[in-house]
Amino acid sequence: MMRSISLNFSNLSPRFGAPFRGRLCPSIAVAAAPISVHSHRNHSQSFRISVPPVSCSVQHQKMASDDGHDPRIGRISSAIRVIPDFPKPGILFQDITTLLLDTKAFRDTIDLFVERYKDKNISVVAGIEARGFIFGPPIALAIGAKFVPMRKPNKLPGKVISEEYALEYGTDVMEMHVGAVEAGECALVVDDLIATGGTLCAAIRLLERVGVQVVECACVIELPELQGRKRLGDKPLFVLVS
Amino acid sequence: MSACKDKDPRINGIKTTIRVVPDFPKPGIMFQDITPLFLQPKAFKDSIDIFIERYQGKNISVVAGIEARGFIFGPSIALAIGAKFVPLRKPKKLPGEVISEEYILEYGRDCLEMHVGAVEPGERALVVDDLIATGGTLCAAMNLLERVGAEVVECACVIELPDLKGRERLNGKPLYVLVEAY
Repeated sequence: MMRSISLNFSNLSPRFGAPFRGRLCPSIAVAAAPISVHSHRNHSQSFRISVPPVSCSVQHQKMASDDGHDPRIGRISSAIRVIPDFPKPGILFQDITTLLLDTKAFRDTIDLFVERYKDKNISVVAGIEARGFIFGPPIALAIGAKFVPMRKPNKLPGKVISEEYALEYGTDVMEMHVGAVEAGECALVVDDLIATGGTLCAAIRLLERVGVQVVECACVIELPELQGRKRLGDKPLFVLVS
Repeated sequence: MSACKDKDPRINGIKTTIRVVPDFPKPGIMFQDITPLFLQPKAFKDSIDIFIERYQGKNISVVAGIEARGFIFGPSIALAIGAKFVPLRKPKKLPGEVISEEYILEYGRDCLEMHVGAVEPGERALVVDDLIATGGTLCAAMNLLERVGAEVVECACVIELPDLKGRERLNGKPLYVLVEAY
């Protein structure tokens, strides 16, 4: 069955600036078009629509529990710590380091990504410095893909290509090694969190400039109010906690 | 101890991926670039497997990885041996309460930080980085862990630069590496 629907995820995530209680029901979300769509809601219905694979697209997979709500997500969500006023006043920082101290939750986090991406012909996992370096390599190793670090300027030795991107104030630069990836490869981009989507967009552009197909962006956390998903345009986004 | 002395057949595959980049980050330095290792899934997996085989079943509950390349190796080891992963970071990166350890560089100083509460007294810890040069960073890492009462069981790196005598700087703490580079 193929149809397109527009999804309205019940927004259980904290408004940017409001306290985070960690007990929300996170959404497993994938951008509505073009590949696959899954809605999680707090009731019995779950919608699952998938389209046939296009080269290396990611199909939606059945979640562990019947109503589509993976039982591992609650513990992962609870393991994330919120630090107020970091790095500056007014910002509620989503700290994943506490997740890394919970061996089961960290294991589950990686497993959820690996289950989604294995056997999908993905040969590249690009991880964004530095917290993308924590999640990307275990995924890459489990699915048999290369790991490609996407770094701040002047960290990678040898020949690099650079992509400038906008910050709230000013710009920053992301670099990737020349020759790390080849045209035609299928890639995943991994980071701990998507906020405005600027960094992820820069990573996508770097990969596309050398002819790589970015299949999906994968993050542990999404801050939906910052509309990063929209900034990714037609590139799908998969997150565990919203 | 270096694994290549043990004649593990996987070592050569790892060693040949390491690329030397001259004059980086400054003239006269031959930089040991480990990133091509990550482009060879089998060799990358072998490097992790060798560490896992060495450390599983040893009651190690903490793997501390040094920013940023230690983040590439440490978590996979931690996950496989059932340990926590604790990132050791440059200043002001970790949110919340941290403890800091200053250390000397060739010119000037730097600082490494760890979260308060990440590690408890009595825990057995591994410190992981891609490379040991002078050993300054690894020392700072060990100090952080020992200050909170953890026992550093060993430091683990993929590459050692023996001419820089980092091993001696570790004050008797064991060091395990896969490859020596001269």
